[in-house]
Amino acid sequence: MFSHLVVGASLFFGDIIFYAVCFLILMWLIKIFAWKPINQMMQDRADKISNDIDSAEKSRDEAASLAQQRQSALANSRQEATTIVDNAKKQGQQQRDGIVAQAQTDAQSLKVNAQKDIEQERQDALQNVRNDVADLSIEIASKIIQKELSADDQKALIDSYIEGLGKQHES
Amino acid sequence: MGDPSSVPTFQLGGLTFNVTNMISGLIAFVLVFLFVFALSRHITMKPGRGQNILEWLVDFTNNILKGSIPGNETSAFGLYGFTLFLFLFVSNELGLFIQISLGGKDWVRSPTSDPIVTMTFSLATLMIAQYAGVMKFGWKKHFSGYLKPFVFWLPISIFEEFTNFLTLGLRIFGVIYSGEMLLKIIGEMAFSGGIASFGVAVVLALVWQGFSAFLGAIQAFVFVTLSSVYIADKIEID
Repeated sequence: MFSHLVVGASLFFGDIIFYAVCFLILMWLIKIFAWKPINQMMQDRADKISNDIDSAEKSRDEAASLAQQRQSALANSRQEATTIVDNAKKQGQQQRDGIVAQAQTDAQSLKVNAQKDIEQERQDALQNVRNDVADLSIEIASKIIQKELSADDQKALIDSYIEGLGKQHES
Repeated sequence: MGDPSSVPTFQLGGLTFNVTNMISGLIAFVLVFLFVFALSRHITMKPGRGQNILEWLVDFTNNILKGSIPGNETSAFGLYGFTLFLFLFVSNELGLFIQISLGGKDWVRSPTSDPIVTMTFSLATLMIAQYAGVMKFGWKKHFSGYLKPFVFWLPISIFEEFTNFLTLGLRIFGVIYSGEMLLKIIGEMAFSGGIASFGVAVVLALVWQGFSAFLGAIQAFVFVTLSSVYIADKIEID
Protein backbone atom coordinates (compact mmCIF):
# COMPACT_ATOMS: atom_id res chain seq x y z
CA MET A 1 0.00 0.00 0.00
CA PHE A 2 2.86 2.39 0.71
CA SER A 3 4.70 1.55 -2.46
CA HIS A 4 3.52 4.82 -4.02
CA LEU A 5 5.55 6.70 -1.43
CA VAL A 6 8.72 5.36 -3.01
CA VAL A 7 9.29 8.01 -5.62
CA GLY A 8 11.54 5.95 -7.84
CA ALA A 9 9.00 3.20 -8.11
CA SER A 10 6.66 5.17 -10.34
CA LEU A 11 9.15 7.15 -12.41
CA PHE A 12 8.93 6.36 -16.07
CA PHE A 13 11.62 8.18 -17.96
CA GLY A 14 9.80 7.94 -21.25
CA ASP A 15 7.40 10.50 -19.86
CA ILE A 16 10.17 13.07 -19.63
CA ILE A 17 10.68 12.88 -23.37
CA PHE A 18 6.96 12.91 -24.03
CA TYR A 19 6.36 15.97 -21.88
CA ALA A 20 9.41 17.82 -23.15
CA VAL A 21 8.34 17.29 -26.76
CA CYS A 22 4.71 18.16 -26.07
CA PHE A 23 5.69 21.24 -24.10
CA LEU A 24 7.95 22.46 -26.88
CA ILE A 25 5.18 21.92 -29.42
CA LEU A 26 2.74 23.78 -27.18
CA MET A 27 5.17 26.64 -26.76
CA TRP A 28 5.70 26.79 -30.50
CA LEU A 29 1.95 26.78 -31.22
CA ILE A 30 1.27 29.46 -28.61
CA LYS A 31 4.10 31.52 -30.04
CA ILE A 32 2.64 31.33 -33.54
CA PHE A 33 -1.03 31.75 -32.66
CA ALA A 34 -1.01 34.04 -29.68
CA TRP A 35 2.31 35.22 -28.30
CA LYS A 36 3.64 36.98 -31.37
CA PRO A 37 0.41 38.66 -32.50
CA ILE A 38 -0.47 39.70 -28.95
CA ASN A 39 2.92 41.20 -28.26
CA GLN A 40 2.98 42.81 -31.68
CA MET A 41 -0.41 44.32 -31.00
CA MET A 42 0.61 45.49 -27.53
CA GLN A 43 3.69 47.11 -29.01
CA ASP A 44 1.61 48.69 -31.78
CA ARG A 45 -0.85 49.97 -29.24
CA ALA A 46 1.91 51.46 -27.11
CA ASP A 47 3.29 53.17 -30.22
CA LYS A 48 -0.14 54.37 -31.26
CA ILE A 49 -0.86 55.79 -27.83
CA SER A 50 2.39 57.70 -27.76
CA ASN A 51 1.76 58.91 -31.32
CA ASP A 52 -1.75 59.94 -30.38
CA ILE A 53 -0.46 61.88 -27.42
CA ASP A 54 2.05 63.64 -29.65
CA SER A 55 -0.49 64.44 -32.35
CA ALA A 56 -3.01 65.61 -29.75
CA GLU A 57 -0.36 67.95 -28.42
CA LYS A 58 0.31 69.18 -31.93
CA SER A 59 -3.32 69.69 -32.85
CA ARG A 60 -3.91 71.52 -29.58
CA ASP A 61 -1.09 73.89 -30.46
CA GLU A 62 -2.52 74.30 -33.94
CA ALA A 63 -5.96 75.04 -32.56
CA ALA A 64 -4.48 77.59 -30.20
CA SER A 65 -2.63 79.34 -33.01
CA LEU A 66 -5.75 79.26 -35.19
CA ALA A 67 -7.77 80.83 -32.40
CA GLN A 68 -5.07 83.45 -32.06
CA GLN A 69 -5.24 84.15 -35.81
CA ARG A 70 -8.99 84.34 -35.74
CA GLN A 71 -8.89 86.72 -32.82
CA SER A 72 -6.48 89.04 -34.55
CA ALA A 73 -8.41 88.77 -37.83
CA LEU A 74 -11.57 89.70 -35.98
CA ALA A 75 -9.89 92.70 -34.40
CA ASN A 76 -8.52 93.71 -37.81
CA SER A 77 -11.86 93.41 -39.51
CA ARG A 78 -13.50 95.44 -36.77
CA GLN A 79 -10.95 98.17 -37.26
CA GLU A 80 -11.39 97.95 -41.00
CA ALA A 81 -15.13 98.24 -40.67
CA THR A 82 -14.72 101.29 -38.48
CA THR A 83 -12.41 102.84 -41.06
CA ILE A 84 -14.86 102.09 -43.86
CA VAL A 85 -17.74 103.59 -41.98
CA ASP A 86 -15.67 106.63 -41.10
CA ASN A 87 -14.61 107.07 -44.69
CA ALA A 88 -18.17 106.72 -45.90
CA LYS A 89 -19.32 109.28 -43.38
CA LYS A 90 -16.60 111.67 -44.37
CA GLN A 91 -17.36 111.18 -48.04
CA GLY A 92 -21.05 111.66 -47.45
CA GLN A 93 -20.34 114.81 -45.52
CA GLN A 94 -18.17 116.09 -48.35
CA GLN A 95 -20.77 115.20 -50.93
CA ARG A 96 -23.48 116.89 -48.91
CA ASP A 97 -21.39 119.97 -48.49
CA GLY A 98 -20.65 119.97 -52.21
CA ILE A 99 -24.30 119.59 -53.12
CA VAL A 100 -25.40 122.27 -50.72
CA ALA A 101 -22.70 124.64 -52.02
CA GLN A 102 -23.70 123.85 -55.57
CA ALA A 103 -27.34 124.46 -54.76
CA GLN A 104 -26.44 127.74 -53.10
CA THR A 105 -24.43 128.81 -56.10
CA ASP A 106 -27.23 127.79 -58.41
CA ALA A 107 -29.81 129.61 -56.35
CA GLN A 108 -27.57 132.66 -56.22
CA SER A 109 -27.11 132.70 -59.96
CA LEU A 110 -30.80 132.10 -60.50
CA LYS A 111 -31.58 134.97 -58.22
CA VAL A 112 -29.10 137.20 -59.98
CA ASN A 113 -30.52 136.26 -63.37
CA ALA A 114 -34.02 136.83 -62.18
CA GLN A 115 -33.07 140.22 -60.79
CA LYS A 116 -31.37 141.05 -64.05
CA ASP A 117 -34.47 139.95 -65.96
CA ILE A 118 -36.72 141.91 -63.70
CA GLU A 119 -34.52 144.97 -64.07
CA GLN A 120 -34.60 144.49 -67.85
CA GLU A 121 -38.35 144.10 -67.81
CA ARG A 122 -38.66 147.18 -65.69
CA GLN A 123 -36.36 149.14 -67.98
CA ASP A 124 -38.29 147.94 -71.03
CA ALA A 125 -41.60 148.76 -69.42
CA LEU A 126 -40.29 152.14 -68.33
CA GLN A 127 -39.03 152.81 -71.84
CA ASN A 128 -42.39 151.87 -73.33
CA VAL A 129 -44.21 153.98 -70.85
CA ARG A 130 -41.85 156.87 -71.54
CA ASN A 131 -42.48 156.54 -75.31
CA ASP A 132 -46.20 156.20 -74.83
CA VAL A 133 -46.31 159.15 -72.47
CA ALA A 134 -44.27 161.19 -74.91
CA ASP A 135 -46.60 160.35 -77.77
CA LEU A 136 -49.65 160.98 -75.65
CA SER A 137 -48.27 164.29 -74.40
CA ILE A 138 -47.48 165.35 -77.90
CA GLU A 139 -50.91 164.49 -79.01
CA ILE A 140 -52.41 166.18 -75.99
CA ALA A 141 -50.17 169.18 -76.36
CA SER A 142 -50.79 169.45 -80.06
CA LYS A 143 -54.43 169.24 -79.41
CA ILE A 144 -54.22 171.85 -76.66
CA ILE A 145 -52.00 174.42 -78.28
CA GLN A 146 -53.08 173.56 -81.77
CA LYS A 147 -49.61 173.98 -82.79
CA GLU A 148 -47.25 171.47 -84.18
CA LEU A 149 -44.34 171.06 -81.98
CA SER A 150 -41.56 169.05 -83.33
CA ALA A 151 -41.73 165.62 -81.90
CA ASP A 152 -38.12 165.66 -80.82
CA ASP A 153 -38.45 168.88 -78.84
CA GLN A 154 -41.52 167.50 -77.24
CA LYS A 155 -39.81 164.31 -76.33
CA ALA A 156 -36.89 166.10 -74.75
CA LEU A 157 -39.31 168.11 -72.73
CA ILE A 158 -41.22 165.06 -71.55
CA ASP A 159 -38.04 163.21 -70.76
CA SER A 160 -36.82 165.94 -68.52
CA TYR A 161 -40.16 165.99 -66.88
CA ILE A 162 -40.33 162.26 -66.31
CA GLU A 163 -36.77 162.22 -65.08
CA GLY A 164 -37.81 164.73 -62.56
CA LEU A 165 -40.74 162.47 -61.65
CA GLY A 166 -38.54 159.39 -61.46
CA LYS A 167 -36.14 161.17 -59.11
CA GLN A 168 -38.93 162.35 -56.95
CA HIS A 169 -40.35 158.80 -56.95
CA GLU A 170 -37.07 157.12 -56.17
CA SER A 171 -36.30 159.43 -53.34
CA MET B 1 -3.95 4.39 -6.59
CA GLY B 2 -0.46 5.78 -6.85
CA ASP B 3 0.60 2.18 -7.00
CA PRO B 4 2.94 1.44 -9.90
CA SER B 5 0.61 -1.36 -10.83
CA SER B 6 -2.38 0.97 -10.97
CA VAL B 7 -1.23 2.81 -14.08
CA PRO B 8 -1.12 1.36 -17.57
CA THR B 9 2.39 1.41 -19.02
CA PHE B 10 4.20 0.27 -22.14
CA GLN B 11 7.79 -0.10 -23.20
CA LEU B 12 9.30 1.54 -26.25
CA GLY B 13 12.97 1.68 -27.12
CA GLY B 14 14.03 0.72 -23.63
CA LEU B 15 11.99 3.52 -22.07
CA THR B 16 8.86 3.00 -20.02
CA PHE B 17 5.95 5.23 -20.87
CA ASN B 18 3.10 5.93 -18.50
CA VAL B 19 -0.14 6.00 -20.46
CA THR B 20 -2.01 7.86 -17.70
CA ASN B 21 0.48 10.68 -17.80
CA MET B 22 0.38 10.76 -21.56
CA ILE B 23 -3.41 10.96 -21.74
CA SER B 24 -3.71 13.51 -18.92
CA GLY B 25 -0.84 15.56 -20.27
CA LEU B 26 -2.33 15.57 -23.75
CA ILE B 27 -5.66 16.72 -22.35
CA ALA B 28 -3.93 19.55 -20.49
CA PHE B 29 -1.85 20.53 -23.53
CA VAL B 30 -4.91 20.55 -25.78
CA LEU B 31 -6.96 22.52 -23.25
CA VAL B 32 -4.25 25.16 -22.91
CA PHE B 33 -3.86 25.40 -26.64
CA LEU B 34 -7.61 25.65 -27.28
CA PHE B 35 -7.96 28.28 -24.56
CA VAL B 36 -5.18 30.44 -25.97
CA PHE B 37 -6.22 29.76 -29.55
CA ALA B 38 -9.85 30.72 -28.90
CA LEU B 39 -8.91 33.93 -27.14
CA SER B 40 -6.42 35.06 -29.75
CA ARG B 41 -8.68 34.86 -32.81
CA HIS B 42 -9.56 38.49 -33.33
CA ILE B 43 -6.59 40.52 -32.31
CA THR B 44 -7.35 44.18 -32.79
CA MET B 45 -5.99 47.50 -31.68
CA LYS B 46 -9.02 47.94 -29.47
CA PRO B 47 -9.07 44.70 -27.51
CA GLY B 48 -12.24 42.61 -27.25
CA ARG B 49 -13.10 40.52 -24.22
CA GLY B 50 -11.02 37.48 -25.17
CA GLN B 51 -8.03 39.57 -26.12
CA ASN B 52 -8.30 41.44 -22.84
CA ILE B 53 -8.14 38.20 -20.86
CA LEU B 54 -5.16 37.02 -22.87
CA GLU B 55 -3.34 40.32 -22.53
CA TRP B 56 -4.03 40.31 -18.82
CA LEU B 57 -2.52 36.82 -18.59
CA VAL B 58 0.52 37.86 -20.60
CA ASP B 59 0.99 40.86 -18.34
CA PHE B 60 0.50 38.68 -15.29
CA THR B 61 3.22 36.16 -16.21
CA ASN B 62 5.50 38.92 -17.47
CA ASN B 63 5.13 40.66 -14.13
CA ILE B 64 6.06 37.45 -12.29
CA LEU B 65 9.24 37.32 -14.37
CA LYS B 66 9.94 41.01 -13.96
CA GLY B 67 9.78 40.52 -10.22
CA SER B 68 13.16 38.81 -10.25
CA ILE B 69 14.73 39.05 -13.70
CA PRO B 70 16.25 42.47 -14.34
CA GLY B 71 14.41 44.71 -16.80
CA ASN B 72 15.16 44.19 -20.46
CA GLU B 73 16.08 40.50 -20.22
CA THR B 74 12.56 39.45 -19.28
CA SER B 75 11.36 39.23 -22.87
CA ALA B 76 13.55 36.21 -23.62
CA PHE B 77 11.72 34.12 -21.00
CA GLY B 78 8.24 35.59 -21.42
CA LEU B 79 6.90 32.81 -23.64
CA TYR B 80 8.34 30.10 -21.39
CA GLY B 81 6.80 31.66 -18.30
CA PHE B 82 3.44 32.15 -19.99
CA THR B 83 3.21 28.60 -21.33
CA LEU B 84 4.53 27.10 -18.12
CA PHE B 85 2.04 28.96 -15.97
CA LEU B 86 -0.94 28.06 -18.12
CA PHE B 87 0.07 24.43 -18.42
CA LEU B 88 0.77 23.96 -14.71
CA PHE B 89 -2.44 25.74 -13.76
CA VAL B 90 -4.57 23.60 -16.08
CA SER B 91 -2.72 20.45 -14.97
CA ASN B 92 -3.22 21.23 -11.30
CA GLU B 93 -6.92 21.83 -11.73
CA LEU B 94 -7.50 18.98 -14.16
CA GLY B 95 -7.50 16.28 -11.49
CA LEU B 96 -10.04 18.16 -9.43
CA PHE B 97 -12.64 17.88 -12.13
CA ILE B 98 -11.77 14.75 -14.03
CA GLN B 99 -10.42 11.57 -12.51
CA ILE B 100 -11.09 8.45 -14.50
CA SER B 101 -10.27 5.00 -13.21
CA LEU B 102 -11.14 1.92 -15.23
CA GLY B 103 -10.42 -1.68 -14.31
CA GLY B 104 -8.44 -0.72 -11.23
CA LYS B 105 -6.13 1.56 -13.21
CA ASP B 106 -6.07 5.36 -13.35
CA TRP B 107 -6.44 6.80 -16.83
CA VAL B 108 -6.91 10.52 -16.26
CA ARG B 109 -5.70 12.61 -13.31
CA SER B 110 -3.60 15.73 -12.72
CA PRO B 111 -0.38 15.29 -14.67
CA THR B 112 1.37 17.25 -11.93
CA SER B 113 0.45 14.62 -9.35
CA ASP B 114 3.25 12.52 -10.81
CA PRO B 115 6.77 13.62 -9.75
CA ILE B 116 8.27 12.71 -13.11
CA VAL B 117 6.16 15.41 -14.76
CA THR B 118 6.93 18.15 -12.27
CA MET B 119 10.62 17.25 -12.26
CA THR B 120 10.62 17.45 -16.04
CA PHE B 121 9.65 21.09 -15.77
CA SER B 122 12.00 21.85 -12.89
CA LEU B 123 14.79 20.27 -14.93
CA ALA B 124 13.78 22.42 -17.89
CA THR B 125 13.93 25.53 -15.73
CA LEU B 126 17.35 24.66 -14.36
CA MET B 127 18.63 23.93 -17.86
CA ILE B 128 17.30 27.23 -19.14
CA ALA B 129 18.98 28.98 -16.21
CA GLN B 130 22.34 27.35 -17.00
CA TYR B 131 21.92 28.10 -20.70
CA ALA B 132 21.06 31.74 -20.05
CA GLY B 133 24.06 32.08 -17.73
CA VAL B 134 26.43 30.62 -20.31
CA MET B 135 24.95 32.78 -23.08
CA LYS B 136 25.36 35.91 -21.04
CA PHE B 137 28.77 35.42 -19.41
CA GLY B 138 30.43 32.66 -21.44
CA TRP B 139 31.44 29.22 -20.20
CA LYS B 140 34.33 30.31 -18.08
CA LYS B 141 32.73 33.12 -16.21
CA HIS B 142 29.47 31.26 -15.74
CA PHE B 143 31.02 28.19 -14.14
CA SER B 144 33.49 30.20 -12.13
CA GLY B 145 30.39 31.39 -10.29
CA TYR B 146 30.34 27.98 -8.63
CA LEU B 147 33.68 28.70 -7.01
CA LYS B 148 32.39 31.73 -5.14
CA PRO B 149 32.85 32.87 -2.45
CA PHE B 150 35.86 30.49 -2.44
CA VAL B 151 36.98 27.35 -4.23
CA PHE B 152 35.88 24.90 -1.57
CA TRP B 153 32.34 26.12 -1.96
CA LEU B 154 32.06 24.07 -5.15
CA PRO B 155 30.38 20.97 -3.62
CA ILE B 156 27.86 23.14 -1.86
CA SER B 157 27.10 25.03 -5.07
CA ILE B 158 26.54 21.81 -6.97
CA PHE B 159 24.46 20.42 -4.16
CA GLU B 160 22.42 23.62 -4.16
CA GLU B 161 21.64 23.19 -7.84
CA PHE B 162 20.48 19.66 -7.14
CA THR B 163 18.29 20.67 -4.23
CA ASN B 164 16.82 23.52 -6.30
CA PHE B 165 15.91 20.99 -8.93
CA LEU B 166 14.35 18.59 -6.41
CA THR B 167 12.45 21.14 -4.31
CA LEU B 168 11.08 22.97 -7.32
CA GLY B 169 9.65 19.77 -8.76
CA LEU B 170 8.60 18.04 -5.56
CA ARG B 171 6.86 21.04 -4.01
CA ILE B 172 4.16 21.21 -6.66
CA PHE B 173 3.99 17.41 -6.88
CA GLY B 174 3.46 17.10 -3.13
CA VAL B 175 0.65 19.61 -2.99
CA ILE B 176 -1.24 18.28 -5.97
CA TYR B 177 -0.66 14.62 -5.14
CA SER B 178 -1.83 15.01 -1.55
CA GLY B 179 -4.83 16.96 -2.73
CA GLU B 180 -5.85 14.18 -5.07
CA MET B 181 -5.18 11.51 -2.47
CA LEU B 182 -7.42 13.22 0.02
CA LEU B 183 -10.15 13.63 -2.60
CA LYS B 184 -9.99 9.93 -3.35
CA ILE B 185 -10.14 9.04 0.33
CA ILE B 186 -13.14 11.32 0.77
CA GLY B 187 -14.70 9.64 -2.25
CA GLU B 188 -14.19 6.20 -0.76
CA MET B 189 -15.63 7.38 2.50
CA ALA B 190 -18.75 8.66 0.73
CA PHE B 191 -19.74 5.17 -0.34
CA SER B 192 -18.61 3.36 2.80
CA GLY B 193 -21.37 3.92 5.30
CA GLY B 194 -24.80 4.86 4.07
CA ILE B 195 -26.48 8.25 3.71
CA ALA B 196 -24.87 9.95 6.72
CA SER B 197 -21.29 9.45 5.62
CA PHE B 198 -22.30 10.42 2.08
CA GLY B 199 -23.61 13.79 3.28
CA VAL B 200 -20.51 14.47 5.33
CA ALA B 201 -18.28 13.44 2.48
CA VAL B 202 -20.03 15.76 0.00
CA VAL B 203 -19.43 18.74 2.29
CA LEU B 204 -15.82 17.72 2.89
CA ALA B 205 -15.24 17.16 -0.82
CA LEU B 206 -16.64 20.58 -1.68
CA VAL B 207 -14.43 22.31 0.87
CA TRP B 208 -11.35 20.37 -0.12
CA GLN B 209 -11.94 20.89 -3.84
CA GLY B 210 -12.21 24.62 -3.33
CA PHE B 211 -9.03 24.63 -1.30
CA SER B 212 -7.24 22.48 -3.86
CA ALA B 213 -8.29 24.77 -6.68
CA PHE B 214 -6.77 27.62 -4.72
CA LEU B 215 -3.62 25.60 -3.99
CA GLY B 216 -3.31 24.61 -7.63
CA ALA B 217 -3.33 28.25 -8.72
CA ILE B 218 -0.85 29.18 -5.97
CA GLN B 219 1.48 26.33 -6.90
CA ALA B 220 1.49 27.31 -10.58
CA PHE B 221 2.31 30.87 -9.54
CA VAL B 222 5.02 29.72 -7.12
CA PHE B 223 6.58 27.46 -9.72
CA VAL B 224 6.89 30.26 -12.26
CA THR B 225 8.11 32.68 -9.61
CA LEU B 226 10.83 30.28 -8.42
CA SER B 227 11.75 29.51 -12.02
CA SER B 228 12.35 33.19 -12.64
CA VAL B 229 14.33 33.45 -9.41
CA TYR B 230 16.62 30.59 -10.46
CA ILE B 231 17.05 32.04 -13.94
CA ALA B 232 17.74 35.50 -12.52
CA ASP B 233 20.30 33.99 -10.18
CA LYS B 234 22.30 32.78 -13.16
CA ILE B 235 22.18 35.94 -15.26
CA GLU B 236 22.97 38.42 -12.55
CA ILE B 237 26.47 39.38 -11.56
CA ASP B 238 27.13 38.33 -8.00
